[in-house]
Amino acid sequence: MEPRRKGLKPAALVIGGGIAGMQASLDIANAGFLVYLIEREPSIGGHMAQLDKTFPTLDCSSCILTPKMVDVARHPNIQLISYAEVVGVDGGIGHFKVRVKQKPRYVDVDRCTGCGLCVEACRLKGRITSEFDVGVSKRGAAYIPFPQAVPLKATIDPERCVFITRGVCGKIPACKEACAAEAIDFEQKEEMTELEVRAIIVATGFDLFDAHLKPEFGYGLYPNVITGLQFERLSSASGPTRGKITLNGQEPKKVVFIQCVGSRDKSVGVEYCSRVCCMYTAKQAHLVKEKIPDAEVTVLYIDVRAFGKGFEEFYDRVRGEGVVYRRGNPAEIYKKGERLIVMVEDTLLGESVQLEADLVVLATGITPRGDAENLADLLRLPSSSDGFFQEAHPKLRPVDTEREGVYLAGCCQGPKDIPDAVAQAKAAASSAIITLRNCMEVI
Amino acid sequence: MGPRIGVYVCHCGVNIAATVDVEAVTRFAQGLPSVAIARDYTYMCSDPGQALIKEDIEKFGLTKVVVASCSPMMHEPTFRGTIQEAGLNPYCLEMANIREQCSWVHGEKDKATRKAIQLVAAAVGKAFLLEPLEERRADVTPAALVIGGGIAGMQAALDIAKAGFLVYLVEKEPRLGGHLAQLGKTFPNLESVTPLLSKAIEEVEGHPNIDLLTSAEVVGVEGYIGNFKVKVTDRTTRRELKVGTIVVATGYDLFDAQLKPEYGYGVYEKVITGLEFERLVSSSGPGEGEILVKGKEPQDVVFIQCVGSRDKSVGQEYCSRICCMYTAKQAFLVKEMLPQARVTVLYMDVRAYGKGFEEFYDQVRGEGVIYRRGNPSEIYKKGERLVIRAEDTLLGEPIQLEADLVVLATGITPRRDSLKIANLLKLPRSADGFFMEAHPKLRPVDTVMNGVYLAGCCQGPKDIPDTVAQAKAAAASAMAPLCQGQVKVEAVTSIIDEELCSGCGICAEVCVYDALSLHERKGVMTINEVLCKGCGACAVACPSKAIKLSHFTPTQILAQVDALV
Repeated sequence: MEPRRKGLKPAALVIGGGIAGMQASLDIANAGFLVYLIEREPSIGGHMAQLDKTFPTLDCSSCILTPKMVDVARHPNIQLISYAEVVGVDGGIGHFKVRVKQKPRYVDVDRCTGCGLCVEACRLKGRITSEFDVGVSKRGAAYIPFPQAVPLKATIDPERCVFITRGVCGKIPACKEACAAEAIDFEQKEEMTELEVRAIIVATGFDLFDAHLKPEFGYGLYPNVITGLQFERLSSASGPTRGKITLNGQEPKKVVFIQCVGSRDKSVGVEYCSRVCCMYTAKQAHLVKEKIPDAEVTVLYIDVRAFGKGFEEFYDRVRGEGVVYRRGNPAEIYKKGERLIVMVEDTLLGESVQLEADLVVLATGITPRGDAENLADLLRLPSSSDGFFQEAHPKLRPVDTEREGVYLAGCCQGPKDIPDAVAQAKAAASSAIITLRNCMEVI
Repeated sequence: MGPRIGVYVCHCGVNIAATVDVEAVTRFAQGLPSVAIARDYTYMCSDPGQALIKEDIEKFGLTKVVVASCSPMMHEPTFRGTIQEAGLNPYCLEMANIREQCSWVHGEKDKATRKAIQLVAAAVGKAFLLEPLEERRADVTPAALVIGGGIAGMQAALDIAKAGFLVYLVEKEPRLGGHLAQLGKTFPNLESVTPLLSKAIEEVEGHPNIDLLTSAEVVGVEGYIGNFKVKVTDRTTRRELKVGTIVVATGYDLFDAQLKPEYGYGVYEKVITGLEFERLVSSSGPGEGEILVKGKEPQDVVFIQCVGSRDKSVGQEYCSRICCMYTAKQAFLVKEMLPQARVTVLYMDVRAYGKGFEEFYDQVRGEGVIYRRGNPSEIYKKGERLVIRAEDTLLGEPIQLEADLVVLATGITPRRDSLKIANLLKLPRSADGFFMEAHPKLRPVDTVMNGVYLAGCCQGPKDIPDTVAQAKAAAASAMAPLCQGQVKVEAVTSIIDEELCSGCGICAEVCVYDALSLHERKGVMTINEVLCKGCGACAVACPSKAIKLSHFTPTQILAQVDALV
């Protein structure tokens, strides 16, 4: 370490407040260092907050996640900066200078109590697709993404709010009128801050494969073809249907799950396996059987990859509950009356079959985030051919990168399930702690 | 002045409110003696929910708080923190679990509400008698022990050492490297293992913070997080080490292929295991890098996957996670070294899930390796060759394959001596026999024993990068107490009434934490409050009723019972 790093505050930056970024932040903070946790969305929690139950133990996802979110918010060594983005990175290990853009929420977070009066009052309430519910519900322009959000503060969507886009929203904007805490502030501007940190952990997560890219499955065309994440919101007790699996008020009686949608599929440029879909499908198939015992549930698969602790046992249990696994990837889905027909070749029987369904769930795979390239440029990080960030060595340095002082956690490096993401986040934290402690010795 | 109790009833969104009439529960609580204020709120655990409690503590001068919400397993630490921030002792909190133990398991709103009311009454009854307890801290020995010198143990040791702490790395064998030292090339990048490993070993051996003890075994562990005393022996000497935290990285065994007699392993020389194949093709192995079976190059090689994995008939239900890929790599190596050879892989599902794995599996098939779906029923000898009988489940017909070499992809099993380590460290094991992590999702490297962490395959099968990541993760957990220099000690402990104690020692027998011992001079039992986890087993066992558990005293519990009946 070079002596010029003397006198800097020993701090690390964690980019991304999903489960990986949260875990990495907690570990570094517990080792006694300051952590800036930057989250681009209004709340931390990431994809895990959207899930219903976790496989294979069927723990309620938000029940195990929210205490951790609260831990992050309360930790004296963690400074949570939500609704913000990293826009510049200079320097190197031990002396990074990071520019952070704080996006305006148009809500004074010091005054906002998270009461939700503005959310109720917003004139656009129920008219904007909810990102959190993946389109299964609607929100307004003033919104709190989900009830357990951390920080629990309202945000006004600048692209949709009529007052921001058109300059008028009645005499006084409804949210402003409703807010008893006088927290609505349309004068807020973007703010830039610069942070000095010694190590950076990238935990920016993943996107899901866009099922529209497989037009043969009719996603977006048939309302009863949904993605796995949409299923999670339907099945979640805190979701828009209160956990009832219903479409237009009707319980589906024939449900078909299709695996490897946007995984192991060169035709859409995704050659790799997404590692989580086999198990989340098995879990979802189980949930259908649990909630609608007389439903016929079929899973169409290529290979069942139940490789983790307790996974094979769970896969076995699900089949024991009457879920039918058929090997084959469907060629097409079309509509016949009210129902859907899934055309597939059963490769074990060696014959074409047609399955009727009132609900088809597509197990969409994990893809690099749309903005991964941008961040790779900012941080000067190499990416592997699949588009995920590249680790320093595929075997022995799975969380380090070619750039000293920058470490990877979670799905930004490649698909992984929750425990693997957590383990990797802790691993990245370990690398960061080593850097932080060694910088300290110089002081 | 008597206690002033605040009661907070949580809706948990609809989780509680849909089944329990939370307003009725709140009204009931408001009418209880000593209750100064009762409120209900959508999410008590949220920031505004907690702020509500804090404001009330000040406004109403509350001395005790009852939160009726989820299991204390979930949010007790949260609410203890809340009331502590408002100046109350964290142990002046009582929770009524009206979610897991009420709304989630009952359907009828009337009855569920009545039950919730009773649970709240019981909690208030106990809260009335709650006493403040003191949270104590213990100093931490700034050193760690790592058990096992495979890649997991080496990585964990290196991380802790690089962070500036002393590490004792104990390895049973005379040298480091574990199973990795036996492998030739890695999947999917086909890198030679030897140079990678030598570099890592050099780093470990040369690190000034690592005290390496080879040919040594851990034979005794005493103490608790921050202050473990560990006995280690090698052939000649016995050492006692003092460490703050422990990483277990004891690795795995391979499934014994003789337990599948139908494959003829041990009977036919031409049936070998995957690990034997690694030695066969290794440039440092017996064939000096040439594949020779009885001096001849094999023309037909058959790989059989899932030998001792996904097979209830041999008691191994789980998947071993690495065999699909090591088989793909080995099939590739045969094709590379013997381009004329016919190579077949018999599989159930190909689990190529890691980074670059699917691409490699594709490449291997492109090289001409034939994958056939089906598990063989039998292998027998026909002249000099072997015949494999299997059902090809894609063709739906029985097949017979001839081979000069059969490679069994044997799976990963818990080490035969894992029970010994489990007993030494009081570690629970999961149903598959591997050490059990504290939580399957969010605490994959911690254990229920504070200060003891898991790295690598002793927790379950994993490949090299997952092992390395997990080892670094265990290092992060093991470093935290070392960095902090102090650990929190459980405030809820057993208390011995020396007047009543006869020193019979029954309590010491039931204590799994070795927290009780006989005070030689006084002739009564004494408790090590740092070791005590507050489980209460001793209090139940004591024939003289000389032991009570703080925070769960008989009067407190009887008050709860009174409120319920």
